Amino acid sequence: MNWVRQTLLRNWLVRAISTTIGQKLVMGATGLLLCGFLVAHLAGNLLIFQGTEHYNRYAKMLHENELLPVAEAGLLVLFVLHILLSFTTASANTAARPIGYYGKHSKLSGGTFVHAHNYMFLTGVLVLGFTLLHLSDMRFAHLNLRLKYDSTLDPAAHALHVLHDPISAPVYLLGSLVLGFHVSHGFQSAFKSLGLNHPKYTPFLSKLSILFGIAIGLGFASMPFWYYFAGH
Amino acid sequence: MSLNAEQTGSSDLVSRVPSGPVAEMWDKHKFDLKLIAPTNKRKFTIIVVGTGLAGASAAASLAEQGYNVHAVTIHDSPRRAHSIAAQGGINAAKNYQNDGDSIHRLFYDTVKGGDFRSREANVYRLAQCSTSIIDQCVAQGVPFAREYGGTLANRTFGGVQVSRTFYARGQTGQQLLLGAYGSLMRQVGLGKVTLHSRREMLDVVTVDGVCRGIVMRNLVTGAIESLAGHAVLLCTGGYGNAYYLSTNAKGCNVTAAWRAHRRGAYFANPCFTQIHPTCIPVTGDHQSKLTLMSESLRNDGRVWVPKTPGDKRAPNTIPEADRDYYLENKYKGFGNMVPRDVASRNAKQQCDAGRGVGTSGKAVYLDFAEAIKRLGQKTIEEKYGNLFHMYHKITDEDPYQVPMRIYPAIHYTMGGLWVDYNLQSTLKGLFVLGEANFSDHGANRLGASALMQGLADGYFVVPYTVADHLATSKLPPVTTDSREFKAAVEEASFRTKQLLGIQGRRSADSFHRELGHTMWDYCGMSRNAAGLEKAIGKIRELRAEFWTNVKVLGHDHELNQNLEYAGRVADFLEFGELLATDALTRNESCGGHFREEFQEDGEALRDDANFCHVAAWQFQGDNKPSVLHKEPLTFDEVHLTKRSYRE
Amino acid sequence: MSAMLDLTLKIWRQDGPKTRGAFKTYHLKGISTEMSFLEMLDILNEQLIQLGEEPVAFDHDCREGICGMCSLMINGQAHGPETKTTTCQLHMRRFHNHDTIVIEPWRARAFPVIRDLVVDRTAFDRIQAVGGFVSINVGNAPDGNSVPVPKVNADKALDAAVCIGCGACVAACKNASATLFVGAKVSQFALLPQGQAERVQRVQKMVAQMDKEGFGSCTNTSECEAACPAGISVEMISRMNLEFLKATVVGAT
Ligand SMILES: Cc1cc2nc3c(=O)[nH]c(=O)nc-3n(C[C@H](O)[C@H](O)[C@H](O)COP(=O)(O)OP(=O)(O)OC[C@H]3O[C@@H](n4cnc5c(N)ncnc54)[C@H](O)[C@@H]3O)c2cc1C
Ligand code: FES
Repeated sequence: MNWVRQTLLRNWLVRAISTTIGQKLVMGATGLLLCGFLVAHLAGNLLIFQGTEHYNRYAKMLHENELLPVAEAGLLVLFVLHILLSFTTASANTAARPIGYYGKHSKLSGGTFVHAHNYMFLTGVLVLGFTLLHLSDMRFAHLNLRLKYDSTLDPAAHALHVLHDPISAPVYLLGSLVLGFHVSHGFQSAFKSLGLNHPKYTPFLSKLSILFGIAIGLGFASMPFWYYFAGH
Repeated sequence: MSLNAEQTGSSDLVSRVPSGPVAEMWDKHKFDLKLIAPTNKRKFTIIVVGTGLAGASAAASLAEQGYNVHAVTIHDSPRRAHSIAAQGGINAAKNYQNDGDSIHRLFYDTVKGGDFRSREANVYRLAQCSTSIIDQCVAQGVPFAREYGGTLANRTFGGVQVSRTFYARGQTGQQLLLGAYGSLMRQVGLGKVTLHSRREMLDVVTVDGVCRGIVMRNLVTGAIESLAGHAVLLCTGGYGNAYYLSTNAKGCNVTAAWRAHRRGAYFANPCFTQIHPTCIPVTGDHQSKLTLMSESLRNDGRVWVPKTPGDKRAPNTIPEADRDYYLENKYKGFGNMVPRDVASRNAKQQCDAGRGVGTSGKAVYLDFAEAIKRLGQKTIEEKYGNLFHMYHKITDEDPYQVPMRIYPAIHYTMGGLWVDYNLQSTLKGLFVLGEANFSDHGANRLGASALMQGLADGYFVVPYTVADHLATSKLPPVTTDSREFKAAVEEASFRTKQLLGIQGRRSADSFHRELGHTMWDYCGMSRNAAGLEKAIGKIRELRAEFWTNVKVLGHDHELNQNLEYAGRVADFLEFGELLATDALTRNESCGGHFREEFQEDGEALRDDANFCHVAAWQFQGDNKPSVLHKEPLTFDEVHLTKRSYRE
Repeated sequence: MSAMLDLTLKIWRQDGPKTRGAFKTYHLKGISTEMSFLEMLDILNEQLIQLGEEPVAFDHDCREGICGMCSLMINGQAHGPETKTTTCQLHMRRFHNHDTIVIEPWRARAFPVIRDLVVDRTAFDRIQAVGGFVSINVGNAPDGNSVPVPKVNADKALDAAVCIGCGACVAACKNASATLFVGAKVSQFALLPQGQAERVQRVQKMVAQMDKEGFGSCTNTSECEAACPAGISVEMISRMNLEFLKATVVGAT
């Protein structure tokens, strides 16, 4: 095992990525790319409010694109890397302080305010759960994992079917909000991890990040809310 | 000037000052000193005690040259040495400001500033080395203050009329020490320096009359350890804490120097202590230390007191007409920038006359209102931000709004172990650097020249002179298993056990405080024969009580801060007597040593006929009077004149 | 002005590196608000000595906020409740009568407790030893003014270099990360012309050593910046990340 490790570490890239800073760089880069994915995904999904035919046309275009598997594979890699690293850093970070404090208080201004950064791992895990459910509902619906799959439904009808499910809908609503909370820190944190922190841009990015989080959270949540909770 | 064996009063004190014109001495001497070939250097081991500016720079330079070095410090990291606290700046005769500075002028200012009680040859060398220090520090990445064009900026310090002080905001010492520390740690990384942190030196070990090692206590485990080598460098700082309250860090001590003194190193001019005029005043009897407000503040701050004694109005409501800017009025040429001893004495005189301010009446104002008006708050903040912040933290008053209250406090010690021109003490093989030696500042040190001296000693002097010692001395191999080392270790353990065994009723701190009061009252800003005699009596009594009534808890095989402290207090109690004795013996006033019996218009009155010498004391044994040796001083370049800053 | 406080102190006591520690409660009366926090502990220790109990061990030296020796987690905050302040600069006027004050050592795997409130911070020295310097031997330096340094860069480098090495950043970080400390040193040299020659290796070596010491990693919470008595900005961490990225891309294999 050690021998494998040593051999791998001879490679400069492996060496760089195995440092805590290297991992943060990867974490930041994958996080930022995933944010990009979220934007595209949200934009596509919101088409459903425009009417089912718009949504179906978008789905068709997507599924007929030959590069879709490549994109999916890329996305998978991003997800896996992001998740894997979050687990390794979280466990290393816990190990870095074996004995905790009696009581710890923040010195940040607005100290008691709920800072998203304190819950990144937790919200990440919740988002992961939400994502798995979402994948089983949509991408792998044909495997009949939980919901019964009706192959006669067009994509929009299928989506509406899922959004009316009493389990999926609340999970989607909460999951979307948690996701928004997660990216409200993650978006700006990614820039810092990647080395961009400058008095000129950072205050703007921090605000943008919160707006981004709100947009992502409310954007995705709007669908389960509208179709399930508002009863449309 | 020339001072060689024939001319010194005592055959013991060979100053080794080279002959010839002062400007050529160091170059000539460097050529005359024996060298060690590059490949032979690794055969020698040098022990450096202390990692302040002097120690870190010496250890790094010697390791760079190829010697094996042991670096020892009481701190957990070399970076914590008290040099870190130096605020104002470091002098160098660069003449970057084109204002008439030169090596000769820095030399002249320093000799005069020292009130003609330093060796001309040493001071000249210091001025010569000063320029290389700046170059070295810049190359290390020390972020000195810069002008917009990218060149180095300067400011002025007391007692001079040129701008030659280089600085990094109010934390110059920190930046210089971190530079030296970086160089030291680089050598640690390369394996040339072995670092021994949290170790306190308790003794030096001599073999055949040559200093060959040290005994130290591992402060974490309590083990008494020893190190053997070919030379020992003491860079352990000053003894200002003999006064309890001082601007020194709590850990500053005389222990290393004192134990070396007990083994044969003479102690020179212990009564030359510097009282800094601008410190934050004492606020109660709980106070554990005093905080300096850098002299650089006097570049922009104006010192004043109300004209009428007992004027209790808030400072900002006292009109100009009712204020006395006494330094500006009395010393026209220098104004607020008179040297420290002069400024301190004047502050004391004002307070003694009832014009002091604050609740205790023991303070004067240092006012920035005019400077803030002239330059804007932002500029003042840039120059002194951290000092203002510090003042605000301690006093809860905002110096941007109300004038600072300041009072003199013990700050620096010009006295120290006697060294020759090579920085070697009377104990062969033991070199002393930085504030721990007595060398360059005479009876008063000018601002920004201690940092300069520490680095000159470490980077540019000792690497040459140690080589000469190694090349010319008989140094048979010794190990820490030898009889001499074992005996010294035994003695150190015995003393530790003794302290733990007394089990009396008073804490070490209470003894230290009492000693401090005595020192400050009778041996502080002004001294007289009757008071000094009284002090000596009191110190003896206190010392006797200490050894029967001190209470030290815990064990010797663990981290025991109380035990460490008790050992240091014990040494201060021995040393304090020597300090007072020296002050009593020196029947003149000069620099920081102000004897009330010898004054003229409130200014110090020197007695060059009888006291133009270095007083070097030799230890004779516990409770036995020390023997005084005199090294006469001659002044060929800067003529002995009355030191005046009035015109 | 000055008032008197009665206080309850809950202090971590631990005899040695290998023994188990526990909190112990002490009551102190008549503490002047003019005192510094460490002077308050001095008084406690004097009283303990009189009672025959071993005094509380804590690190301190300069007592003016520059040496970085003092530490202490005071009521769950590194160096206590104030910002840009070390424990030695903290004054009792910040507390109220009958307050309970909890005092703990810095907690991090890389900072093991030696005794009571004293921890071992030599990990920082070992990080410095691999790259926190410019490799210039004495005797080689060109004239100080031969390389102009823009004032802005010199000032920025100083903003980084004012780190006092106290370890509050590590203590305050939920991950016990040392990136603010290392970032500050890397930044100082990255900003100065003198630091360029070793720029690539420096960041790589210092990061590697930092990891080896067992510090956690940065999750950009900025708690370190808030706790830093020297006011060092988290920009330093980003700059280090960027330096590391550049070093990875352009550095040797
Ligand atoms: C608040 C303040 C501000 C100052 N400002 C200036 C200024 O602006 N300009 C200027 O030129 N000078 C200034 N000075 C003076 C100057 O800082 C000091 O004289 C100088 O730094 C001393 O350096 P050093 O290397 O001799 O000793 P220090 O820096 O005191 O180092 C002593 C070293 O010895 C070690 N040590 C001590 N005792 C033992 C022992 N028994 N065993 C083992 N190790 C031991 C310590 O751990 C430490 O490493 C200032 C001094 C103070 C107190
Ligand atoms: S004791 Fe030096 S920083 Fe607090």
